[in-house]
Amino acid sequence: MPGRRSRRSVLAAMTAAPLTGAVSACSGGGGGRSRSTSKTTRITFWSALRGSREVVDAFNRTHDRVQVDFQQIPAGGQGGYAKLSNAARAGNAPDVATIEYPQVPGFAIDGVARDITGLLSDALRARLLPQALGLTTFQGRTFSVPLDVEPMVLHYRADLFERYGFRVPRTWEEFAELAAAVRRRAPERRLALFPTDGMPHFAAWAWQAGAHWFDTSRGAWNVSLADAPTRRVAAYWQRLIDRGDVFANGVESRQADAQIGDGLVLTRLSGAWDAGAQMKARPAQKGRWRIAPLPQWDEKRPYVGTHGGSTFAVTKDCRHPEAAMEFIEWQVSHPDALRARLSSGTSSQYPAASALVAVGREAFDRSYYGGQDIYTLFRQEAAKIRDGWVWGPRMSATQKVMQDAFARVGAGQGSLVDAVRAAQDGTMPDLRALGLTTTQHST
Amino acid sequence: MTATTQRPVTAPAPPPAASAPRARRTARRRRLTACGVLMTPFFALLATVFLVPVGTAVYLSFYSDDQPGLGFGPEQTVFVGLRSYAAVLTDPTFLGGLGTVALYCLVYIPLMVAGALALALLLDSGVVRLRAWAQLGLFLPHAVPGIIAALIWLYLYTPGISPVVDLFARADITIDFLGLHTVLPSLVNIALWSNLGYNTVVFYAALQAVPREVIEAAVVDGAGPVRTALQVKTPLVRASIVMVAMFTLIWSLQLFTEPMLLSQSSPMINSRFSPSMYIYDAAFTRNNYSLAAAASVVLLVCTIALSYGVTRLTSRTDSAAREAR
Repeated sequence: MPGRRSRRSVLAAMTAAPLTGAVSACSGGGGGRSRSTSKTTRITFWSALRGSREVVDAFNRTHDRVQVDFQQIPAGGQGGYAKLSNAARAGNAPDVATIEYPQVPGFAIDGVARDITGLLSDALRARLLPQALGLTTFQGRTFSVPLDVEPMVLHYRADLFERYGFRVPRTWEEFAELAAAVRRRAPERRLALFPTDGMPHFAAWAWQAGAHWFDTSRGAWNVSLADAPTRRVAAYWQRLIDRGDVFANGVESRQADAQIGDGLVLTRLSGAWDAGAQMKARPAQKGRWRIAPLPQWDEKRPYVGTHGGSTFAVTKDCRHPEAAMEFIEWQVSHPDALRARLSSGTSSQYPAASALVAVGREAFDRSYYGGQDIYTLFRQEAAKIRDGWVWGPRMSATQKVMQDAFARVGAGQGSLVDAVRAAQDGTMPDLRALGLTTTQHST
Repeated sequence: MTATTQRPVTAPAPPPAASAPRARRTARRRRLTACGVLMTPFFALLATVFLVPVGTAVYLSFYSDDQPGLGFGPEQTVFVGLRSYAAVLTDPTFLGGLGTVALYCLVYIPLMVAGALALALLLDSGVVRLRAWAQLGLFLPHAVPGIIAALIWLYLYTPGISPVVDLFARADITIDFLGLHTVLPSLVNIALWSNLGYNTVVFYAALQAVPREVIEAAVVDGAGPVRTALQVKTPLVRASIVMVAMFTLIWSLQLFTEPMLLSQSSPMINSRFSPSMYIYDAAFTRNNYSLAAAASVVLLVCTIALSYGVTRLTSRTDSAAREAR
C-alpha cells in the first residue's frame, strides 16, 4: 500500500487534496446515472480496488444484458468515501459502490447503502464465509456483499530470518522475545513496525484478543474501545515501543517504505491482500518474503482478526438493483472474476466465497513467494477469524482520533491506552449527535 | 422599539392642502428612496451571505435526521433541542481545538501587533532607505493567497523536500518544523509572513496622520527617536492598534487553511486541530450536519463575545485615560 513518493507527487497531492472535496461534489453528474436501452442495462461501478478494470472488462465481454461502466476512484481515506457521500447527497451515487468493512455501518445508517436482504439469493448467501457476511448484516438486514475477507498474517523476510538463525514466532510471547533478539543481533534492524497510522492493524490485534469495540446485541450501540483485551494488546505494544524493540511510525509513509525496502524491518503484520501489494510495490525483493500464521495469545485456541477487505453495496440511487446484484454476484463468486483480478499481478485477495480459493491458488503467481502456497495458508487462517466483531457507525472518525493519538505516542507523548480512550471520547459525541442509542459498558 | 414609539411624533400627517409641507414631503420621499436604493445592495448581501447562512446553521443545529435505536431504520427530521450543543461541548476534540486556537491567539496577536507597529515606526522615522521598496516588499506576501502561502511553507517545512531542513542538517542541526512542539510556532510563522506587511501599512498610514507639530514639539522638548516613537506616536495611533488587534483576533479564530494543508504532511496536525477544521470534519467526513452546525454557532458566539469584550475593554480604558487627563 505505501507507494514511493517523489517530490513532485507530494506537491501535487498537497495541491490536489483541498480541491478533491469541491471537485468531487460536482463531478458525479456525468457518469452517475444509469442508462438503459431496450436490450442492455447499463450500470455504473466505482472502486479503488486493484484489478477492478480487468474484472469489469471480463464481465462486459461475457454478458450482453448488463453492461458495466467502471470508474476508478481514490481509496476511501484519500477522498473516495467523501466522493461517494457527496454523490449520494446530490442524488447521483453509482449503482454499485465499493465499501470496506469498517465503513459499512456508517453508509448503511446514512442510507447510502441499500438494504439488499431481499435481493441476496440464498445460493450466494450460502457460498460466502459467514464471518464475512456477519460484518455487513445488522439486525438481520444485509447492506453489502463481501468480496474478500482478509485474515491478518505474518509476512516475514525468510532470507534475513535464515541469516540470523531466527525461528518464526508462533505466540506473541515468542514475538516479543524475537523483537529483543533482533535488536541485539542487528541494531539497525527491527522485527516489526508499530503503525502509528494503523487503526486497522491495531483493531485486528484487539479483535484477535477478543475485544468488542462495538456491540449491537442489546439494541443499542455499546462502545468499549478500551475493554480488557484491547488494554492487553495496548500494553503489549507499549512495552515493545518503550524498549525500542519495534519502530513506531506511519506505515503509509516514505519512512516505512524505506524501512521495508532497505530490509530494516523483518516482518509486516497485515492482511492477506498485502502479499499482492508487496509484489507490486517492491518487485526487487522477489523470493525474499514468506508468509506465516499470525502469532497467537493461546496456541490451543487460535484466533485471528481481519485487516482490510472490501464489500459491494447497491446504493440508494440505483435504478436497476437486480442488474447491479447480478454484477455483484458474478464479481464475488465467479471464477473468471477472480482470475481476471489476479491477472493484474497486483492482487492477492482472499475471496469471501470459499469455493474460489482453489481458483486463487491456481491463478496466483507464486514465484515471488518462492513457490509457497499462500492460498492454502490463507484458508487455514480465514477459518480462525473470531466471531462477533462489529465495526462502528462512524469508523473513519474513530480511526482518525485514534491515529492522531498514536502519532503522539510515536513522538513520545502519551500511551496507547490513552489513545484508545481518546478515540472512545472522540467517538461518543458523534454518535449522540446522530441520535443513536448508545451505552458505554466495558469489561 | 424606538422606531415605533417615535413614529407618531415624527410623522403626523399634515393636511394635504398646504403646498410647502408637500414639497418637504416629496424631498423626504426622494431622500428615502435614495437611501433605500443605496442601502439595498448592502442589505441584500448581508441577508444572503450572512443572515440566511446563520439562520440555516441555527436551524440545522436544532434539528437532525434521526433513526431510533441502532440507526438502520428510515430516518425522519426531528427537533432535538440542545442535543447537538451538548455533544459539541462535551467533545474533548472540539474543546482541544478551542484550546489550540486560544494558544495560537496568545502567541500570534502580540507578535503581530508589536512586529507590525515596530516596522511601521521604523518606516515612519525615516531610518529606512528606499521606503517605497521596503513597503512593497513587506506588503507583497499579503498579495499571495493563503493557500499558495501554505503550500510554499509546506515545501519549506517538509523534511526530505525542504532546502531549509537540508541546510540545517548539513550544519548538524536536526530540526523538525512539523513536530509536536514546533507545529504551532510554524503556523504562527506562516501567518506573520502573510499579514505582517498588511498591518504595517495600516499602522504606517495611521502614523502619517499624526500632526508633525506634535513630533516637532517632542523633539524640541528633548525626546530621542525611540522615546518619540514609543511615547508620542504610539499612543496617537491607539485606535488603529485596537482595530488591527480585533481583526487579527477574528481572523485567528477562523484558523483553517494553513493547518488544513499542513495536516497533509504532519501527523501532529489532526483533522480536528482548530474549531473550523472540526466543523469541516464533522460536516464532510462524519456527515454529521447537526454537530457541524452547532459547532459553527458556538464558534460564532465565541467570536462575537470576544470582539465585544475587546471593544468594551478598550473603550473603558479609553474613557479612564481621558478622565485621568
